[in-house]
Amino acid sequence: MSEFALDAQGIGISFGGLKAVQDFSMRVPAGGLYGLIGPNGAGKTTAFNLLTGVYSPQSGQVHVAGQRTDTLRPHEIAKAGLSRTFQNIRLMGELSVLDNVLLASHMRGRHSIWRTILRTPRFVAQELAMKRRAMEVLNVFALDRLADEQAKGLPYGDQRRLEICRALATEPKVLLLDEPAAGMNPSEKKTLAKSIQRVREMFNVTILLIEHDMGLVMDICEKITVLDHGVTIAVGTPAEIQANPKVIEAYLGEPGEAATSPAQDAGGAA
Amino acid sequence: MKPLAEHIRAITPREAFRPVVMFVPWIVCVLVALGMHTLAPLVVDDYWVNVLRRIGVFIVAAVSLNIVNGFTGQFSMGHAGFMAIGAYIGGGVTYYGSLMLHGSVGDPSFQTHGVLLMLGGVAAAGCVAAGAGYVVGLPSLRLRGDYLAIVTLGFGEIIRVLLELTTKQLYTREEVTLGALFKLPLNGPTGFERIPGYASVFWIFLFASITCLIAYRVKQSSSGRAFLSIREDEIAARAMGVNLTKYKVRAFVLAAFFGGVAGALYAHTGVNPSPTDAGFQRSFDIIIMVVLGGLGSISGSVLAAIILIALPELLRDLQQYRLIVYALLLIIMMLVRPQGLFGVREIWDFFGKKNRPTSKEESNP
Repeated sequence: MSEFALDAQGIGISFGGLKAVQDFSMRVPAGGLYGLIGPNGAGKTTAFNLLTGVYSPQSGQVHVAGQRTDTLRPHEIAKAGLSRTFQNIRLMGELSVLDNVLLASHMRGRHSIWRTILRTPRFVAQELAMKRRAMEVLNVFALDRLADEQAKGLPYGDQRRLEICRALATEPKVLLLDEPAAGMNPSEKKTLAKSIQRVREMFNVTILLIEHDMGLVMDICEKITVLDHGVTIAVGTPAEIQANPKVIEAYLGEPGEAATSPAQDAGGAA
Repeated sequence: MKPLAEHIRAITPREAFRPVVMFVPWIVCVLVALGMHTLAPLVVDDYWVNVLRRIGVFIVAAVSLNIVNGFTGQFSMGHAGFMAIGAYIGGGVTYYGSLMLHGSVGDPSFQTHGVLLMLGGVAAAGCVAAGAGYVVGLPSLRLRGDYLAIVTLGFGEIIRVLLELTTKQLYTREEVTLGALFKLPLNGPTGFERIPGYASVFWIFLFASITCLIAYRVKQSSSGRAFLSIREDEIAARAMGVNLTKYKVRAFVLAAFFGGVAGALYAHTGVNPSPTDAGFQRSFDIIIMVVLGGLGSISGSVLAAIILIALPELLRDLQQYRLIVYALLLIIMMLVRPQGLFGVREIWDFFGKKNRPTSKEESNP
């Protein structure tokens, strides 16, 4: 039993000859807010996919709140308390905003088909409770007024926020955010940074986020892991990471080499 | 923030127990069926009453297929197979049940018992078809899109061939014993004849409205959202804790159950169910209804079933050209409204939302 909310030890996967992620380890204590960064194609999203069971790790172990999860199927991992958002938004576009969030509280309830058909008091109570809770979660991101809109009709920023709401509605212990600020303008990013910290307090959740916006990561993350070509090249506090020559090299190229600008990295997608 | 369990505890019994929500819709179903049964013969002639019975049967079939194809987004092309299983089981129970209990089939003096036999047959048909649905649902976990369509198409054809291979006779009073029934005397390729037409407008529309009610309740529930989420995005659904295996199989079993019910009713409308009823032609007919009505829309399926059964009858005057007109209408429809009549929505979503209870008031029927 580990005291870490998220404990990944030496997980890795290769696709054919490509070692997408190797020997990835990360320990996030309960209530922590950690960051995962790296240049495009470094394997950050793959690492998330390994943690959440989209891919099964070929090596290593993952524990979520003390429960081993790398052998579980994705929905079981979600039930164990690991929830995520997606880099390329994956909302249920045809469903309403409310239904998207309701779906996420699905696994915290019981859904006998008989109760559904007969609409027993127990069923009604559960649906009502789910709805109330969903509205509270939506309220955190001021999305409750859009509850009846179709998810695909929302503006981009709201869709990102709705993804976070949906992930929170699963009552997670650990929340993985895959580029939550992608495509947001500076003022939206500021609000988002505040929201993320607020969410951590309100929902008592541990957060790990992938982000290209260095300002955001350096501001809010307590500890940062840097990936490059699937290999962990640095772990440390924001200040340590900023001073780490290996990290600078990974982002800017070797000294003397024609370097890509860091701004390009900040805007791009992995 | 409080977890869901605490929210549930906070809800009072008064809030949770809603007799109007629980019981009234069932009564409405009975009233609809009674209304149809009394009014239909007054308004139209016998021929159209028969068309009406067909419409009811296909409402059950289309709405149930909608659970798999529409809600869950798994393209099943074998629904006629479930219907045929239902038709033969239902017909078999009534036919051989009457023979063994009464000595003859379709005797007017045995009518009440016959109808009870039919209802038993409907239940048995639903259960056996649901079992078949479970078996067909299992490969759907590994197969997607076209591949699943091919497997389910194959299932329908297997049922058709199996029915053709049944013993080519229907036993009479003297021949029938429980043991003899294991030889499946279902008259092979000729079709199951002489099933009495016990399924009156009342029974058919009772089952049709109950099917719609159940489908609607499922759609407006957690299970329904799980179904729809599988259709929208499997990866996101899994990440939100939806057990894909469980819900895909659940959708198949539910759909197959009501497919079986539709088949059993169909067998009692004075037709002779034959092996071709399990074939792909019939499956396509039902798929067209679901797609035309809108994948995921229950009222859409109902309306499409009405249109697609009634239309060929109305076009009868055009004789052999009616199939061309029918096909043209479908093509035009798909060009004008590719999402079907109502898309994923219901017919009442298109009218003013103010004067009717919406999900906000949590008073869905």
